[in-house]
Amino acid sequence: MVTVRSSLTAAMCLEDFSSQLVERHNRPEIEVDNTHNPELVLNPMVIARNENEKILIEPSVNSVRVSIKIKQADEIEQILVHQFTRFLTSRAENFFILRRVPIAGYDISFLITNFHTEQMLKDKLVDFIIEFMEEVDKEISEMKLFLNARARVIAEAYLTPFD
Amino acid sequence: MLQLDQNNLLITKTLTERVNAVEEKSLDRIVTDFDFTTYHLLTFPDQKNQILISVYLKCWDDLVKYGVVDYLKGKYSPYSDVLTILDPKDAETNYNYSIVLDLERARQSDATSVINEISYLKRHCLAAPFERGFARYDELAEKYASSNTYSEEIQGELLTEEVLVIKYRGAEECIFIKPSFDRVTVIFSTTFKDEMDKTFGKVFLQEFVDARKRSVQTAPQVLFTHNEPPLDIRKAAPTTKFDTNKGYVTFVLFPRHLVKGDRRDNCISHIQYFRNYFHYHIKCSKAYMHSRMRHRVKEFLKVLNRAKPENVDNDGRAIENRKTASGRRFDARA
Repeated sequence: MVTVRSSLTAAMCLEDFSSQLVERHNRPEIEVDNTHNPELVLNPMVIARNENEKILIEPSVNSVRVSIKIKQADEIEQILVHQFTRFLTSRAENFFILRRVPIAGYDISFLITNFHTEQMLKDKLVDFIIEFMEEVDKEISEMKLFLNARARVIAEAYLTPFD
Repeated sequence: MLQLDQNNLLITKTLTERVNAVEEKSLDRIVTDFDFTTYHLLTFPDQKNQILISVYLKCWDDLVKYGVVDYLKGKYSPYSDVLTILDPKDAETNYNYSIVLDLERARQSDATSVINEISYLKRHCLAAPFERGFARYDELAEKYASSNTYSEEIQGELLTEEVLVIKYRGAEECIFIKPSFDRVTVIFSTTFKDEMDKTFGKVFLQEFVDARKRSVQTAPQVLFTHNEPPLDIRKAAPTTKFDTNKGYVTFVLFPRHLVKGDRRDNCISHIQYFRNYFHYHIKCSKAYMHSRMRHRVKEFLKVLNRAKPENVDNDGRAIENRKTASGRRFDARA
């Protein structure tokens, strides 16, 4: 977590940068194919706790893409994570920094551009992502526990009156 | 509301209201129930004190095979002074079974019990094949009471025992009842609409299986398989195309559940609505998960909005609220 925090803070030093290729365009450089001007994209980095929980940070001159893979130990968690991320992405317009489609291999992606960092406090944005990571895990496991508990209760409630 | 009710509340209410009403009104009401069951409550145009109650069940043809008409007759004939059972051939078009309730006479006697029985109409319809299966179990139990049930001939005979099939929601979802000399096996086949239902269903069914081991030892044994039907019903099950969303749930009812009388009735009503109960709870959990996610998303939004500085000027840039050491602000002089 500490690593993630410091890397994010470092990665978020963004500046307004107009497109070099198309005049009067201003685009998040991480999102476009930058084979012509590779100097705009910096080295991506992966911070991983294990195979299933990792975060990918791809910085560029005016935008950062942060992708998170949430822990999914079994089928239930998988489906819950899927539902949850779908729920979030369908509300992406409220979440300003949320990317509608996650990067392949990850569950959810954020795209932070220089406009976001200008409008919002950088530290708070980092806080948000950190908190998001912490909360999502907690939420998913709570939901799973709830599901199991509920299943147990209803199974017993159904079977008891047989006797 | 953990348990679902077996009877139909709307029917009870409507009929009670009619019976207690002073003036005669015409009534034409369609009531729906689980498993595509439809009721039609209708007063005759010229005789407003007669209510025609018709029911439509998807699996009626199967039920007729297993003697539903006689069973219903047995259930409703005690009320013959207020209820007239129509011959199934004369039933209202598009419905399978009709009875006529005479309000005039019902008013004179205590109507609650007859209304109650009518509201259980669906339960009674579906109970017929169960009764048939359990009766067959009685026969078998008697027949083999003194013989060695492990001998091969008898095992062979049992294997050929007829399986009762009720296609209660069309061909996709059926109930199979297989009587034997020491148990009755009831198998439900059910389909899941989407991936989430399927996963939730798996969790729930696993708990059904475990519940018996853990706390309710006297409950029927529950088994479940995915995709392929259990051996018992391999022959009877319609061999549809390979369907990954299909599940089979097996209940093994032991003699202790089949004791004649109240317990058997209770068992029948209870097992009948397994599918409804099961899917109802899957839907409930889904709804809960949804509201929970909604709440969580709201929380996240709050956190994100914290990142926005409170004082934003017209360009969306933060106004710097620098203060002097004494706490005074730098105000722009006009």
